[in-house]
Amino acid sequence: MPILEARGLRKTYGSVTAVENISFEVEAGEIFTIIGPNGAGKTTTLEMIEGLIPPDAGTIAIDGLTWAKDAEKIKYRIGIQPQSSAMFELLTVEENLELFATFYPKAKSVGEVLAMINLAEHRNKRVKSLSGGQRQRLAIGLGMINDPDIVFLDEPTTGLDPQARRNIWDIVLNLKALGKTTILTTHYMEEAEKLSDRVCIVDQGKVVTLDTPAALIGRLTREREVRLSFLDGEEAAAAAESAAQSAGSVVRTSREGAHLALWSVQPEDTLYGLFGFTKERGYRVEQVSIREMSLEDVFIAFTGKEWRD
Amino acid sequence: MNRSKQFRKLFAATLKMMFREKQVWFWNIFFPIILMSIFMVIFGGNDGSDFKAKVAVVQPARNEAADGMLSGLRQIPVFEWKSEAPVTAEQADEWIKEKDVDGVIYLPADGQTQSLKLVVNTENEQSATTQVIRGILEQVVQQSNLAAAGVQTPPFHLEMQAVTSGSEDLSYTDFLMTGMIALALAQGGLFGMVDLVEMRRKGLLKRLRMTPVRMGLLGLASMLVRFLLGVFQVCVLAAIGVFLFGAHLHIDVPTLIVAFFIGSLAFNALGYLFSSFSKTLEAYMGVANIASFLMMFISGIFFPTNSLPGWLQPVKDALPLTYFAEGLRDGMVYGSGIASTEFWLGAGVMALWGVVAYLIGATLYRRAKVEAR
Repeated sequence: MPILEARGLRKTYGSVTAVENISFEVEAGEIFTIIGPNGAGKTTTLEMIEGLIPPDAGTIAIDGLTWAKDAEKIKYRIGIQPQSSAMFELLTVEENLELFATFYPKAKSVGEVLAMINLAEHRNKRVKSLSGGQRQRLAIGLGMINDPDIVFLDEPTTGLDPQARRNIWDIVLNLKALGKTTILTTHYMEEAEKLSDRVCIVDQGKVVTLDTPAALIGRLTREREVRLSFLDGEEAAAAAESAAQSAGSVVRTSREGAHLALWSVQPEDTLYGLFGFTKERGYRVEQVSIREMSLEDVFIAFTGKEWRD
Repeated sequence: MNRSKQFRKLFAATLKMMFREKQVWFWNIFFPIILMSIFMVIFGGNDGSDFKAKVAVVQPARNEAADGMLSGLRQIPVFEWKSEAPVTAEQADEWIKEKDVDGVIYLPADGQTQSLKLVVNTENEQSATTQVIRGILEQVVQQSNLAAAGVQTPPFHLEMQAVTSGSEDLSYTDFLMTGMIALALAQGGLFGMVDLVEMRRKGLLKRLRMTPVRMGLLGLASMLVRFLLGVFQVCVLAAIGVFLFGAHLHIDVPTLIVAFFIGSLAFNALGYLFSSFSKTLEAYMGVANIASFLMMFISGIFFPTNSLPGWLQPVKDALPLTYFAEGLRDGMVYGSGIASTEFWLGAGVMALWGVVAYLIGATLYRRAKVEAR
């Protein structure tokens, strides 16, 4: 049985439809990531599930509990790091954790949480003087203080430098090791690919597709982009282009000066044939690459839109 | 975690946050102290006993009447003589223009036209000092006339005594001190809800709604912290008024407590109302400033309200600060009030303001919560 079930969620603000129709199930213990461009409805979806705003239509069940009947019980079992990461600015890290701990009937020890979010040495610093990454870690820590079964992280790494981002990834993976269920939203495809068990792509308030990152990438069309650049200039590139076009596996080509790009359904065979040709002619190839497929391509393939961070 | 422990923690956290916010100290403690001290230094020190008017005398011609009057004038204790001997008219004019003297008295020029003339700088024409000099000279003239008419002892004379409703005379210092205490407490309420605006803007209110914490407990904790700050304000301002400026206290505890609680609650409710429709810090501060400025001058904080023009009187009668200041004066310097109808009428007006402001504020907050995304 899934630990979280969202069915047909819908939310409109006046004439604006923030969420049109979103349904998914999350299994216990997995990291479930919702990705999508700004305004896709990620935060609205999360806030409906977190009980902050009532959906216009649809149902939400958290381990069989509903907001209408069991709001208190649900609040004990979920932990939230909201996008705004609001906390008491004039209190220290430790005081914030201690205060939030009193809101719950049972809570983790403050020391344990400090260790998990790696802020033990900054425990006496006021929130005001924390760096962006430290702040975000504390926000996650506040969401973990009640030892929740389900953790919601709304864009925890947005605006952080790569090192701080990696620190957050460690915390998220640690949560998984502890058996927690994590629902994550992010802007970064790389992050979704690295952390998620399953990815749900949303756009314009609807679920575009939902699966494991590997399965989503595998579902893309077979053609791969191959790039070559030639030391012998335009002439060599043009000759190679016409040679490639005659090969059956190449779908299309494009050339810019000495740089050639081609799309092939069998990139290995295409390259083998091309290298035979260049060797024969004595052309020197400077660079060769086969572009890796990523979730970004999945997004583009499913929505027909360019992805922007 | 039980309710009372949660409340204690919330109270401790709120108290810590207040201590750490420098703005709170400045606006709630230092600013009222500075304002009160300035007003007391400027307006509070004018006791009748050390009043002096600096004058000079011009004697155009020597004659018996003028000599007599001059020696009479020399007896008047409040006159301080710029020059013992009579001076020339040119010298006197210069002193007046330079404001070296408050007034110049011209003695009668001859025995026929017995007129006494007072010359003052136009700028000071309406000043209290001019009025006093003029009053004294009129007395002198009248005495001289009576003497000339042969009346030895005038049968009637006027005695004046000021009576206040309190057990002690209300000096201006007492009046200002209690007014400043009322203003400081009122501003604490009007401006104090700035945290709420910030908490909402930064999403902290939303964050707290994600937890099972009782918002009512949080509200109660911050209210208690505010009352403590209020008590501290009363003590500090009263101590400064009494020890530095010689204000008198005649405290009636029940009156003071009732006025303090109802007034503080009413102004906190007003602050709550302002916070409910202010989306930014600037908007909130603007509204709170307008409210506090209007009330400060109309409600008799610095000067008694009977000097207000007639059309402003009904406005004054409607404002809560008027009754807050009066209530605190009843409780702190008159030592009475709890038994009077007027006191309870004032308390009623304040309570009405508080209840209405709270209800509107709560409605606006509820609507904002529905619309919030």
